[in-house]
Amino acid sequence: MKDNKVAIWIGQKDLNHDPKFMEEAGNEFARIPLDKMAESSTLEQVGATRRDFLKYLGFGLGAATVAAACEIPVRKAIPYVVKPDAIVPGVANYYASSFVKGGDYCAVLVKTREGRPIKIEGNDLSPVTMGGTSARAQATVLELYDVNRIKGPGRIADGLVSDGSWAAIDKEVIGALRPESKIRILSNTLLSPALHAAIAEFSAAYPNTKLVQYDAVSSAAMLIANEQQFGMKTVPDYHFDGAKVIVGFEADFLGTWISPIEYAKGYVKNRKIEHEGHATMSRHYHVESHMSLTGSNADNRILVKPSEQGAAIAALYNEIAAQTGGTRVNAPAGLNEKATAAIKAAAKDLLANKGASLVVSGSNMVSEQLLVNQINLLLGNYGKTITFEHASKQRQGDERDVARLIEEMQGGQVDVLFILGANPSFDLPQAEAFNTALEQVPLRISTNSHVDETTGRCHWGAPDHHILESWGDVEPKAGVYSLMQPTINPLFDTRQVGLSFLTWAKSAKLSTGDQPYHDFIQELWKENMFPHQSEYSVFQAFWDHTLHNGVFNAGGNTEPAYNAVDVSGLQVRKPAGEGMELSLFETVNMGAGQYANNPWLQEMPDPVNRCVWGNYLSVPVSFDGWKTIEGFAGLKDGDLVNLTSGESSLEVPVIQQFGQMDNTFGIAMGYGRTAAGRCGNDIGVNVQSLVQIDNGLFQYYRSGIQVSGKAGREDHFACVQYHHTMGVKTLDKNGDEINADEAALASVSIPFFKKTRRGFQGALTDRSIIHGAHVSELETFLEELHEQREEFQHLNAQSLYPDYSDHYSRGHHWGMHIDLNACIGCGACTVACMSENNVPVVGKHNVARHQEMTWIRIDRYFYGDFENPKTVYQPMMCQHCDNAPCENVCPVDATNHSSEGLNQMIYNRCVGTRYCANNCPYKVRRLNWADYTTADLWPINEHKINQEKVQFYADDLTRMVLNPDVTVRSRGVMEKCSFCVQRIQEGKLNAKKEDRRLLDRDVRTACQTACPTGAITFGDKNNPEGELTGKFKSPLNYIVLEETNVRSSVNYTVKVNNANEALDA
Amino acid sequence: MSHSPVSPIRAPLVEGHKTYHQITEDLSTPTEKRPNAAWWGAFAVALTFLTIGVICIVLTIWDGITEWNLNRTIGWGWDITNFVWWIGIGHAGTLISAILLLFRQKWRTGVNRAAEAMTIFAVMCAALFPAIHVGRIWVVFFFFPYPNSRGPLWPNFNSPLLWDLFAISTYFTVSLLFWYTGLVPDFATLRDRSKGLRRKMYNFVSFGWTGSAKHWQRHESLSLVLAGLATPLVLSVHTIVSFDFATSVIPGWHTTIFPPYFVAGAIFSGFAMVQTLMVITRKVLNLKQYITLEHIESMNKVILLTGTIVGVAYLTELFISWYSGYIYEQFAFFNRALGPYWWSYFGMMLCNVISPQLFWSKKIRRSVWWTFFMSIFVNIGMWFERFVIIATTLARDYLPSSWSYYSPSWVEIGIFLGTLGIFFTFYLLFTRLAPVVAVAEIKHILKSAGDQYIGKDAHHHHSSEITQES
Repeated sequence: MKDNKVAIWIGQKDLNHDPKFMEEAGNEFARIPLDKMAESSTLEQVGATRRDFLKYLGFGLGAATVAAACEIPVRKAIPYVVKPDAIVPGVANYYASSFVKGGDYCAVLVKTREGRPIKIEGNDLSPVTMGGTSARAQATVLELYDVNRIKGPGRIADGLVSDGSWAAIDKEVIGALRPESKIRILSNTLLSPALHAAIAEFSAAYPNTKLVQYDAVSSAAMLIANEQQFGMKTVPDYHFDGAKVIVGFEADFLGTWISPIEYAKGYVKNRKIEHEGHATMSRHYHVESHMSLTGSNADNRILVKPSEQGAAIAALYNEIAAQTGGTRVNAPAGLNEKATAAIKAAAKDLLANKGASLVVSGSNMVSEQLLVNQINLLLGNYGKTITFEHASKQRQGDERDVARLIEEMQGGQVDVLFILGANPSFDLPQAEAFNTALEQVPLRISTNSHVDETTGRCHWGAPDHHILESWGDVEPKAGVYSLMQPTINPLFDTRQVGLSFLTWAKSAKLSTGDQPYHDFIQELWKENMFPHQSEYSVFQAFWDHTLHNGVFNAGGNTEPAYNAVDVSGLQVRKPAGEGMELSLFETVNMGAGQYANNPWLQEMPDPVNRCVWGNYLSVPVSFDGWKTIEGFAGLKDGDLVNLTSGESSLEVPVIQQFGQMDNTFGIAMGYGRTAAGRCGNDIGVNVQSLVQIDNGLFQYYRSGIQVSGKAGREDHFACVQYHHTMGVKTLDKNGDEINADEAALASVSIPFFKKTRRGFQGALTDRSIIHGAHVSELETFLEELHEQREEFQHLNAQSLYPDYSDHYSRGHHWGMHIDLNACIGCGACTVACMSENNVPVVGKHNVARHQEMTWIRIDRYFYGDFENPKTVYQPMMCQHCDNAPCENVCPVDATNHSSEGLNQMIYNRCVGTRYCANNCPYKVRRLNWADYTTADLWPINEHKINQEKVQFYADDLTRMVLNPDVTVRSRGVMEKCSFCVQRIQEGKLNAKKEDRRLLDRDVRTACQTACPTGAITFGDKNNPEGELTGKFKSPLNYIVLEETNVRSSVNYTVKVNNANEALDA
Repeated sequence: MSHSPVSPIRAPLVEGHKTYHQITEDLSTPTEKRPNAAWWGAFAVALTFLTIGVICIVLTIWDGITEWNLNRTIGWGWDITNFVWWIGIGHAGTLISAILLLFRQKWRTGVNRAAEAMTIFAVMCAALFPAIHVGRIWVVFFFFPYPNSRGPLWPNFNSPLLWDLFAISTYFTVSLLFWYTGLVPDFATLRDRSKGLRRKMYNFVSFGWTGSAKHWQRHESLSLVLAGLATPLVLSVHTIVSFDFATSVIPGWHTTIFPPYFVAGAIFSGFAMVQTLMVITRKVLNLKQYITLEHIESMNKVILLTGTIVGVAYLTELFISWYSGYIYEQFAFFNRALGPYWWSYFGMMLCNVISPQLFWSKKIRRSVWWTFFMSIFVNIGMWFERFVIIATTLARDYLPSSWSYYSPSWVEIGIFLGTLGIFFTFYLLFTRLAPVVAVAEIKHILKSAGDQYIGKDAHHHHSSEITQES
């Protein structure tokens, strides 16, 4: 080591043979004592100096900053500075209010969370809707947060509203108005007495003002007929609950006609089977060509072409008149034979139930409505099932006034036109004429919420509040009032239309308070409603009470004399004979197009044809007697055809529709909007122009149309159900009765195996999914059903783990009961579920691929006669099986069973293998295929539902509708019905706070509260006093797929019908 | 080394009077020469497919499963079909290595190396699908049972998918070890023939093999142990894969016949894939004297047997569904045969049941062309089988309201092509890096199966030597 010539040396010390170094070098495992290291002198020897440290720090900070510069969205949560009294974070407030859109009405409770309306519930106190809701009412909360709403007043140009101020627009309008100006206000039915009063104030200031009301789907003929006959231009009050026999002519009273929630509630009263021993139910005949929601619920559908409606009404009238001594009417010939016979049978049933029957018609011909009135009169139904005391005000429009307005505008006789919520440039059949005439009006002001087809043609936009931001009152029926109160401050710079009119009228009634329109309504109520009651002596107390309850009833009409009219000269429409005919109808979700920009409603499947995001031409189906069910002219679902009527031709997609009368077609109105908004544009085909005008009234049918063969394919045929039937009977080529749909299950047949021509008889009908029986055979049927169920239960009881089933006998055990006799298929529950549970909307393309996300769906099956089948609606959601097949297959335990029998999803555990969905016999599980709700951290792959610029659900405004109690699911996780577990938790907490047992009313699921007919009952199976326990005892109950031993918690009732069986063959 | 007496009817398995040196030369040179144009062409095509696959997988992960046409009714489609198909293909390797080793089938030596490699690559392709088919690939580690910070939350041991995970990972590990064990002496051979970097590389991977008696003894023992481990795996892997379906409640899936039927099907398809590869490889690499018609015929016999087993299983299924008297079961099979996917059912029947019956003819069995086309047929048929079981069954199950129809999106097709790309890329690289026929094992059987010893033209003294030895 001391030799300097050693080749390897370590530093100078080594070369110099420094003794200390040499000593340390020999000690390989030298340890520096820790305490010495801590001394500052040792630290100084560390290579990194303070400067280095700062350098590294600086670099590190810089690098971290650069790395962190990737933008992460900022979600702000700002606490209240001063907490409002009524708002407790996490606790919902409910406000009684009203849903109104044109003539559509529903008394509602608005659920708000932290000051945001997030859900609509029915108001049980309303005598009209009685706690029921409709899909339209449920969806209105989404409309509030519509990004396409006009943000404030201003001049309209190129589809945009420029920034303006109310002061400016008021100046402009008041400046333009002269006392002698000819002013017209165009609206749909207006139900608000206060708004009528405000318009009256305006008219007082400008005497040449006239309010023109029309309804795109009109009941004008009925108004006119009642005016002629009873002196009251109104829709009477129909009492479906008092009718044992109902005959409907095209009137879709369960779906869209006038007041469907109210009618449905009354209707199902006589449809539910309470005592199976001697079950009785009403009988319902429906006369139509296209299957409507109401027709699908009927016991007997009588198929007549649209042009035969008049002949059918006249035939019924003559049958009734013959027995009751009325004068005969001149009934045109040409009613088909089957219908003639059926009408006879219906007449017989009606005559047997005089005073307890009801005949309604959707016809918009005065003569026909008069005949219908006369039928009811002869049957003694007036004063019983039809009264006028609380006559409906929900349709007041008369399209003849619009025709007159167009003439006036054309002649330059209108100086100022106000558009008040209506959209005539889209929904009038003569929209083109209207648009041309509109150009002649010097000043056009729209109060609509969107720059729609009409508003885009106006000069000024003076947008109204959304109803959830508004004060208002409603008189849906004479003497029946309800109030509307704001549940959120106006989101935009909008102003209530009533206030606008008062302002423009410079009304003396305009208060100077913060809320002048509120004061105006109060004054009005003080004057008009307050004196009608005796409960409260102070107005404020009365007002507070009414506002709390939301509804108020006082007075009504006096019943008119039920005069007969001379029917001998009445001319009904003449059957067009051979040839194709088209009926135009309104759907539950789209109305006349006013709901087009609401994705919840667009994605809600039409109850009858089960299609979404578009209207389809219903074409009749036929069976080749062997194994093929084919559409008219061999058309397949989603084929495009040319629909020709006279000069005009439209390209429309088709759907094969069971129950569509031969040689007739049907298509929904309200589609094909071009200026609805980001989600509603160019959805479906605009067929408004196909509506005919006869004697000034809209006629929703056409004869002499042509439907071409296949002319192309629709890009995305979006129908949630591909198989529609559960056994439809017809004759095969050999004349044997077979189920055509079961024969058609085979896509191929084996040439030498003749039996395959019958497909697989029993493949559908032997399934334990739908059980149905005629009311007269119910008892025998139930015996068979019980035998079958006993066998299933016996098999299911064979277990390797016999004690397993006892897990849920203590505590709560949640279950559900669904009354198939009460379910009319209206779809309110499906929208309510979307709203309550933040269910994503996926758009047409993805529904076409069956990637829809709905948690509850209403399966619709046709059964019975092939040509004229019956329908059953079956709400289907997670069955919360106590032996759930989805649970054991999940590799990560993301779905499991709660101690209360709930099948629960733990979203953040879910990996998304989809094994659970595959193994679900009910197919109710839904994967988040894409990032629908922008729940992913980075909005890189947002999912557009209709090519919109900003993804639906991506903007903060739309997201205000989300229910904060329900997790927004991210892409790739499975979800499904939770039995509204957030409501269960809330109910349990409330009961606990009040130190009492949980009651039925504590927990009601969203679908249950939305249902207008009470078809859904949720509750605790272990609660002996609960409503559910009572319903679970009904012998009509069965469990879908009971033999699979998955132990579903949902009971369904047997679907019972009361068809006139003589007609069924 | 002692040999059993060789029956005179045993055909030689090594032809061309090969000496030990010639064997080394023949089998090692493909890894030493520059690749020819055919190889480069094939490699380019394989890489292209691989790239397509990568793009499609990235798209799926980026955008979500919505890139596929699966839906609320049909939760599994091409993804799991491909998974089961690849797993099935991966069965031949282990069967040849393990079971045929235990049964002392000498013809295995000609094909076992390639078959094992194929197994490994096929299992890799298969394992891809369970990973990418999930909605949230970034949390697939939830599958693994390890003490974690999420509770700890253990996976659900009741779930067949979890069993799958264990089955496949075990199978992959054992197959890889087995394959590698066999490669060690051959890598040493390559090392001894090479210089420079190449020598270092092979030196590293051959673990310092010197060929000493102790090495050979350990090698043989390890092979035997691994064969013992792998043998039950051949049966268990596809049994467990079949549990994915058999333990469900879906009619058409819930079937007790599935385990044997799946295993037979897997061997069937595995051998078909081996045939496809071997027929090409022996031609391209000029290995006809090592992978002889004898080998091909033996494998065709296995295909005939397993194809027939599969056919019997199909018919049994049909019979049982009818005999069950259970409407859902009956309909499930009615629907398979005559429903909207009838073409896939008949495709399956034609390719899997009817066409292999041609192999009763010795002429066809020994025809290279027939073998090649039949192997492709069987591969297609077995793909159809999985598609029939998975997609057709799901498309129409209990509730007619939810019935649906499914055809793949281009992304799904792209991923399938991608796995073919992965498979062939790896296989082509393998032919360049290791002898596709096991050099050492061929030398083992030379004296008992070389044509100069047992063939018709064998030298007399060679025959007498064998007699003496035994």
